[in-house]
Amino acid sequence: MSSDRRPLLLMSPAILWLFALMVVPCALILVLAFFRRGIYGGIEYTWTLENLTLVFDPLYFNIFLKSAGIAGLSASIACVLGYAAAYAIAAMPRRNQPLLLFFAVLPFWSNYLVRTYAWIVLLNREGLIVNLARWVGYKGELPSMLYTEEAVVIGLVYNYLPFVILSCYAPLSRLNPEITEASRDLGASAWTTFRRVTLPMTVPGIATGFVFVFVLSIGNFVTPALLGGGQFQMIGNLVYAQFLTANDWPFGAALSMVLIAVMLGLLMAQAVVAERASGAKEGQGNG
Amino acid sequence: MVERNTFRLMLLILGVVFAFLYIPISVLVGLSFNESGLPTAWTGFSFKWYGTLLENDDILRAAGNTLIVAIFSTVFATLLGTFLAIGVEIRRRNGKWLETVIFAPMIIPDIVLAIALLSFFSLLGVKMGLHTIIVSHVVFNLAFVCAVVRARLKSFDWSIIEASSDLGSSTFTTLYRVVIPVLMPAILAGGLLAFTLSVDEFIIAFFTAGAGRSSITLPMQIYAMIRFGVTPEINALATIVMSVSVIALALSQRLNKGGLPGQ
Amino acid sequence: MNQPFLSIQNVQKNFGTVKAVSGVSLDIYENEFFALLGASGSGKTTLLRMLAGFEQLSGGDVQLEGTSIAQQPPNQRPVNLMFQSYALFPHMTVAQNIAYGLEMDKLPKAQIKERVDEILQVIQLGHLAKRKPDQLSGGQRQRVALARALVKRPKVLLLDEPLSALDKKLRSEMQLELKRLQAEFGITFIIVTHDQEEALVMADRIAIMKDGGLLQVGTPQEIYEAPETRFAADFIGVMNFLPVTKDGDDFVMANGGLIKATRINAPVLGSAVAAMRPERLAIGDAGDNSVSGVISAIAYHGLDLLLHIKTDATDALIIARMTADVVEEHNPAGGQQITVSWSAKDTHILPA
Repeated sequence: MSSDRRPLLLMSPAILWLFALMVVPCALILVLAFFRRGIYGGIEYTWTLENLTLVFDPLYFNIFLKSAGIAGLSASIACVLGYAAAYAIAAMPRRNQPLLLFFAVLPFWSNYLVRTYAWIVLLNREGLIVNLARWVGYKGELPSMLYTEEAVVIGLVYNYLPFVILSCYAPLSRLNPEITEASRDLGASAWTTFRRVTLPMTVPGIATGFVFVFVLSIGNFVTPALLGGGQFQMIGNLVYAQFLTANDWPFGAALSMVLIAVMLGLLMAQAVVAERASGAKEGQGNG
Repeated sequence: MVERNTFRLMLLILGVVFAFLYIPISVLVGLSFNESGLPTAWTGFSFKWYGTLLENDDILRAAGNTLIVAIFSTVFATLLGTFLAIGVEIRRRNGKWLETVIFAPMIIPDIVLAIALLSFFSLLGVKMGLHTIIVSHVVFNLAFVCAVVRARLKSFDWSIIEASSDLGSSTFTTLYRVVIPVLMPAILAGGLLAFTLSVDEFIIAFFTAGAGRSSITLPMQIYAMIRFGVTPEINALATIVMSVSVIALALSQRLNKGGLPGQ
Repeated sequence: MNQPFLSIQNVQKNFGTVKAVSGVSLDIYENEFFALLGASGSGKTTLLRMLAGFEQLSGGDVQLEGTSIAQQPPNQRPVNLMFQSYALFPHMTVAQNIAYGLEMDKLPKAQIKERVDEILQVIQLGHLAKRKPDQLSGGQRQRVALARALVKRPKVLLLDEPLSALDKKLRSEMQLELKRLQAEFGITFIIVTHDQEEALVMADRIAIMKDGGLLQVGTPQEIYEAPETRFAADFIGVMNFLPVTKDGDDFVMANGGLIKATRINAPVLGSAVAAMRPERLAIGDAGDNSVSGVISAIAYHGLDLLLHIKTDATDALIIARMTADVVEEHNPAGGQQITVSWSAKDTHILPA
C-alpha cells in the first residue's frame, strides 16, 4: 500500500472508540482515586491521598492478600490439571487431537454465570453431591461445601481450566518427537525425559496459563459473590460494594488502581520470562 | 513410541478432566428436564420448565434486551474491529502503545472496565440504558473481532492486493471486492464470537444498564435469580443459554477452521 | 570371517497391512562402516529405528554379540542413534547436550567433564561449549549431535541421513570426516542414506534395500562393478541398458546384432538387458560390442562430457562418457552419426 494515511483511516474509528470509551474512563478512575467521597455520597473534588492510604490499611490489605492467595491457589491447581490434560491430548493420535481440544475448550465459551451456578447445584446442602452421598448410604452430617473458600477455588479452577489446557497444548504439540526419542536413546527413563527435557521446553505454556488464571481470578467478582456467600470478600466484591452499596466511588477507584498495578506488574514479568524462554522455541521443528 | 501403560494413564487423565469439565454442565441440563426440578429426586422427563420460561415476562423481556444489545454491539464491533485489523496489518510498523491499547480490553478485569464506564457516564450526565450497554460491549467485542481477523491476516497473500491495483481498481474497490471477501470467514467467526460474548456478558451490563427495569439483560436476570430466588426454571434457562454459545462456537469453528484467539 | 557383531535375523515390521520391512537378514561385523542404501519407502529408516529400539519387531530377532536385544527398550541398549533432525536439546548448552548421555550412565562428574572436553576437541567445537544450539550453524549442530552419541562409546552407532541437511561442499568434507572418526573410535557405524555417492565413499559394505527387502549386499566395488539386478545397476551411478534376448549361448539385440558378455551376474531366463557403464564406452568400433546412433544431446561437465546417443539398433538411449582429450580429438557435435564400442568383460547381462 503506498500511502500511509489509508491504514490510519481504517483504524481510526476503532481507535477513537477505544480511546473515548476505555482510555478516558480508565484515566477517569485514576483521577477519581485522588478525590474524596462527599458527605451524601457524591464526589468532593478535594485532592487527597487518603483513599490510597486506606487501601494499604490492614483491613483492606488483607483482602488483597487473601485474593492473591486464592488466585494463586486456583492458578496452581488449574496449571497442574491443565498441563496434565494437554499432555494427554498431545499424546493421542494426531488426527484425534483437534477434536479433543475443541471439547476441552468448549465449556470456556459458555456463559460463566451458568457454569458457576452449576457448582451451586452440586455443592449446596440440598445439592447433588449431598444427595448422591445420601443415596449411597452416608448417614452423617456433611459439612457445607458451598459458601466456603474451597468452593470459590473450585469455581475459579473450573472456569479457567480450558484456557490453561489450550496454552499448555501449544508448546507440547510443537515439540519435535525426535527430541524425546533422543533423550531415551541416550539412556534416560521416561520420567527423567519428562523432567529434564519435555517440561523445561514447555514451561512457557504453563507460565502463560498461570498468569492468565491469576490475573482473571484476582479481579473476579461473580465467582466469590455466588460461591463465597455474603461474608466472603475478594477485591472484586470490594470494588463492587464501594460503587453500589457504600457509595464511595473514590475508594473503589483507588482499589481498582492497585488491582491494575498488580496485574500489569505480573503481565510484564511474564513477558520477560517469555523472552528468556524463547531459546527453547528453537527445538520445535528442525533441530 | 507410547508404551501401553503410559497410554492408559493418558486416557485416565483425559477421563478425569473431561468428567470434571462436563459433569456440572450435564447436571444442569439433566435437571432442566427433571419434572420435579430438584436434585433430590428424579420424577420423570418433562419440558415443563421450558414452558414456564416462556410464560415468564421478566425473562422474555430480558432475553429480548439481550438480543438487541448483542445484535447491535456485534454489528458495530465487527465493522470497527475488522477495519482496525486490516489497518493494523497493512501498517506493519505499529508502536507498542497501539498494540497495548488494542489488546487492553481483553485483559482489563471486567469489573474495572465496568466501574470506569459507570463513572464516565455519570460524569457526563448520560442517562443509562440499553444504549450505554451496547456502547460498552462494543469496547471489548471489537478487540476480539480484531484479534480473530488479524490472525487470518497473518497468512494473507498481500500480492493479490497489488494484482488488484495493477488491474486498475481503486483502494475502496479493492477493499470491497478482494480483501473483505477473502476475510469473510474470519469476519463471520469474529462476529459470532462477539455475539456469544455479548450474550453472556454480565458485569459490564450490570453497571452500565442504569436504574430502570427496562434495561435488564438476561445475564443480569440470571444473576438476580441465582442470588435471590432459585426456581427450577433457571436450569432450563441455563441450558438454552449454553446451547446458544455452543452453537455459535461450533459455527465459528466451522467457518474459520479454529481461528479463535489462543488456538 | 569372524563372528558377526550385529546379527539381524529375518526381521519383519508391519504397520497394519503394510509390510515396511520383510524378511531382512544381515550380518554386520565389528568396526565396520555399513550403509543401508535405498530410496524413501524402502524400509531402511524403519530398520534403523528397530535397531535403536523405537519400533517393535513384528517378527525375527536382532542379536548383538550373541545376545538378543529385540526386547530391550531404547534407553537400555548399548546402541545410539544420531537423528536426522539432530534433535539437540534447545534449552541446554553444547556441553550439557553432550554430557546428558553420560549423566544417564551415572558417571562421576569429573569423568563426565573429562570425556566431554575430550570429544569437543575431536570435533573442534571446544570454543562453542557454552553456546546453545540455536546459536550454531547447521554443520556445527551436526557435529554436536554426532559427539553426543559417540561420547557414550556405544557398541553400534546408527546414523539417520546424517549429511542430508548439509550443503554440497560441507557434505563432501563430512563424508571423509565421518570415515576418519569411525576408524579412530573403532565403533561399528550403520548409516542410512538415499545418496548412493555417500554410500560408495564412506561404507566398507553396502546393503541396497527396496520395498522393505534386501536387494544386494556387498562392498562398494562389488555393488558398482557387479550389480545383480537392474534396479541395483541403475540405482548406483549411471548405467546403460540395451534390451537383448537369449539366443543359445549368445545374446542378441532387436536388430540382430550380437552382444558378447562375460559377466552374467544372475540367472537369465527370458528377456534381459545388457548393461555397461558410460565410462567404458569408446568412440569407434574397435571393441567386442558396438552400436551406432545419432548424438541427441551433449552435456558438458567441465572435466568430462556426456554424449547422449539415440541408437539405431533399439529404442534405447545410451550415454557415453568422454574425457576432455578424447573430445578434442573427435569433436563430437549434436546430430552427428557416431559409433561407440566396449569390451565383453565390461558387459553385464541382467534380468530385464
